[in-house]
Amino acid sequence: MPKAKRKGQKGNFHQTLTPLLFLSPNALIFVVFIIIPAVQGLRMSVMDWSILGTPKYIGLRNFERLLRDRVFGITVRNTVVYSLFMVLLITVFSLLLALLLYRNTLRGERLFRSAFYLPSLLSMITVGIAWRFIMGDEMGIINYVLRAWGAGEVGWLSDPKFAMGSVIFVSVWAQAGYYMVIMISGLQAIPQELYEAATIDGCGRKQSFWHITLPMLKSTVLVVIVLATISSFKAYELINVMTGGGPGYSTKFIVQQVYQVAFTEDRMGYASAMSVVLMAIIGVFTLLQFKLTGKEQDYE
Amino acid sequence: MKKKILCLMMTMIMLLSLGQAMAQGNDVTLTVLWFNDANESEVFKETVADYLEANPGVKLDVQVVAFDAYEKQLKLMLAGGNAPDLARMTTALMPVFSDALEPLEGHADIAEVEKAFAPSMLAFARNGEGKIVAYPTEATANGMLVNKTAFEKAGIDVVELSKTWTWDEWEEAARKVIAASDTVKYGLAVDFTPHRFSTIIYQFGGRMLTEDLSAVNFSNEGTVNAIKWFKRMHDEGLIPPSVWLSSEKPAELFQAGIIAGHIGGSWNINTYVGITDFEWTAVQCPKGEIRSSVPGGKFIAGFKDAKNKDEAMKLAGWFSDAEHNAKYCLGTNNLSSRVDVSIEYPANTEAFGVFSEELKVTPTYTAEEWNTAIVGKIGNAVKENVVQVLLGSMTAEEAAAEIDRQAAELMQ
Amino acid sequence: MSRPSRRHPALKYLALALLGALFLFPVLWVVLSSFKPQQELFRVPQTLLPNRWTLDNYLFSFSQGDFGLNIKNSAIVSVTSTLLAVIINTMAGYALSKFIFPGRDLIFGVMIATLMIPLQVIMVPIFLQLKGLGLLNTLLGIIIPPAATPTGIFLARQYMTTLPNSMIEAARIDGAGEGYLFMRIILPLSKPIVATLTIFSFMWRWNDYLWPLIVITNNRLQTLQQALAGFVGQLQINWSSLLAMTTVSMIPVTAVFLVFQRYFMIGIAAGSVKG
Repeated sequence: MPKAKRKGQKGNFHQTLTPLLFLSPNALIFVVFIIIPAVQGLRMSVMDWSILGTPKYIGLRNFERLLRDRVFGITVRNTVVYSLFMVLLITVFSLLLALLLYRNTLRGERLFRSAFYLPSLLSMITVGIAWRFIMGDEMGIINYVLRAWGAGEVGWLSDPKFAMGSVIFVSVWAQAGYYMVIMISGLQAIPQELYEAATIDGCGRKQSFWHITLPMLKSTVLVVIVLATISSFKAYELINVMTGGGPGYSTKFIVQQVYQVAFTEDRMGYASAMSVVLMAIIGVFTLLQFKLTGKEQDYE
Repeated sequence: MKKKILCLMMTMIMLLSLGQAMAQGNDVTLTVLWFNDANESEVFKETVADYLEANPGVKLDVQVVAFDAYEKQLKLMLAGGNAPDLARMTTALMPVFSDALEPLEGHADIAEVEKAFAPSMLAFARNGEGKIVAYPTEATANGMLVNKTAFEKAGIDVVELSKTWTWDEWEEAARKVIAASDTVKYGLAVDFTPHRFSTIIYQFGGRMLTEDLSAVNFSNEGTVNAIKWFKRMHDEGLIPPSVWLSSEKPAELFQAGIIAGHIGGSWNINTYVGITDFEWTAVQCPKGEIRSSVPGGKFIAGFKDAKNKDEAMKLAGWFSDAEHNAKYCLGTNNLSSRVDVSIEYPANTEAFGVFSEELKVTPTYTAEEWNTAIVGKIGNAVKENVVQVLLGSMTAEEAAAEIDRQAAELMQ
Repeated sequence: MSRPSRRHPALKYLALALLGALFLFPVLWVVLSSFKPQQELFRVPQTLLPNRWTLDNYLFSFSQGDFGLNIKNSAIVSVTSTLLAVIINTMAGYALSKFIFPGRDLIFGVMIATLMIPLQVIMVPIFLQLKGLGLLNTLLGIIIPPAATPTGIFLARQYMTTLPNSMIEAARIDGAGEGYLFMRIILPLSKPIVATLTIFSFMWRWNDYLWPLIVITNNRLQTLQQALAGFVGQLQINWSSLLAMTTVSMIPVTAVFLVFQRYFMIGIAAGSVKG
């Protein structure tokens, strides 16, 4: 298959100093502003610390307590459910949009791309506002239309059966365009002659999708999956504006709980322990994705 | 080329120190942390404009932060040794920060202050040692605002009825209002905050804490009854589920004419003056076991660690004298926290009157409870567990017990 | 080449149009609502178009507060931070994709891992760090730290692996220095990813709320998003101002997208990769 053709390229260059110099500005910023604070912050997971007080070492007691924390358990479950659906839907949907819009042949293609990308340009607060006007029980436009048709109202954001679905829907809406852009650039990077060769060989459209497009797009799909996973595990603002985690605990995620415990309940140490767990979960998921999609070095 | 880029980085880093140096001027700039419900920051600036004119060396830097982020921001600044000079405080924030606040002692005549402000407001303004650490600005009272037009449509004179009504009578009236109207779908909405919910708790004879304020105790008859009543009102469609179960705001539902009443407070007057679609007013809350409001308010306070403590306290004192306090409260449509100030409001005088009256019949333990640090921390536990009752996954008794348990854990 | 899209262009258009409407409707709603007078915002039934068009929300918002200043701050931060981000992210992407050196995968892994840390938890240490460096209450404090985005590096690296090694090799044989090579060969070949990073990074910085919240406590330096958040009070939301200013805040990001759209998503297949 075409893969072999591109593998003909030579490997990368063996050097040490040059790449390190190229890396240094980024690395410096990371170390100073993220890594050092992170180490300090996460060290607090073994402390009892209220933000205005002095930290006190308490060993693994925060983690022991986490095991018994029913609400934290719920938030872990919610976060994982949300992320799984989000990543799946985002990947499929953004790929679909990209397939419709990557060729530069369709009239008005740019216009459509812009339309799909526009929601990603909005801040999450804006997105939340817009959808509250649409999905609200009493003030929302959907329920108004439903009432006008004589159908029953639906508690899109207030019924535990629907709230998670609504939040996932809006999250996909808000981010699909962003991932579509990544997908499009991946699709455009596939050399056209592969398709031409395939057509000559009598490959149908479906076959070329499975045998050319998907394999060639693998690394892009991996990028999308990894980025979507990490961002969905960290979703905060949108959910906060839309449901505030409710109804009850239905859409409450780890990050929300971390925030609440840290700043409202003033238990910084406990919140740090939660974050350690969150990071561990994200790490495991990300590693799995790299492993499942084959060797990480294999870009093509 | 990469050297150039590295140089660029270096230059940038050099610039930092320069920017830092430039940030320091000769004049005193007082940093004020603020949050807005409406126009408060603007009115604040207007109110102290004459002070700034009289003291040309003093400048103001008013930073408006989203209320959501306010407590965190303040904690962040204090933890980082970067305290603002002044900050606007709420009753709930006072116990959280009282230890970090600069006592008025030495900056103002305490005897005068004690004479000038309502004792209930001063109670909130005291720290653990009983020292006054903030100037009360506006006083607030929780209470009920009603859609007068909707009641009229049902043939009810709500102002008259409310003078004696009980919650049962309210319920009867609310059903009539809903039946008589196309737009009004619910009788009442209660803000999704423990503070507003406590109004009902108190009216049903309940308490949040033990008698000596040492521990959280929701497991008492009045409080459990309040939760049960709240659940029944949701089940019977008198209260919209969207407020406590999702994020619709009672003030918006009220302006849309969807609810006949709103348990909010005196601050709502400032928003509702804009309503043109119907007539509204504030009424006395229905009586449960007792009549009660919940007193609250806002404060302005300085910090022990602030850079310009003396200048800041001077400004706060100026802002809080009778003349300026009156100007500020008038501009923001609020009740004054000073006893020697009477304000001629251009409109809604009867509504202001109702809230003042409500405060007078309110038991003092309401303020005492809200003035404890623990009540500030159990906010989420209260919300979450009451919601569990509304969702039907807990009984009122279970929820009360769970709130007590979580509170005990937090107090450890 | 036979494609179904050729056979059923109408169907494809219909699907796209419906989806497009779904994507645009909420945005349109926000924009149109910003022209409604306050009372109309809460009127049921809601109408899409204002019954009475008004600019009051805009005029009022601009008369209060320092929106001109907020917009200026946001613009300075977004432009400079984006510039910085594009430069250092492509540099890092290049290093991680075209060189083999000990610890490369570890460095990449750590960089991706930083993406996993919820900023909310490490706010206090970050605050102290910024304070120690004298970056509190400086625009540089929101320009420099967020410029090193793991996502940017990730994307740059991903793209640059597809660049042909032969070209780099040839340039080296011709005696090109590493800096020259990067500026003259790698960057020009990376136009699409540079455009993508520009759009993304401008969008991230423009909409960022968390970093400014940590860094800026001086109202002369507040960004637009901070000012927007200030409309959300304890008891009330100032909808009219919020909607109006939200609409204003959407303009620059949309403009940047429209301008740079031309450069990204095109010609990747046509030009460089064939090498």
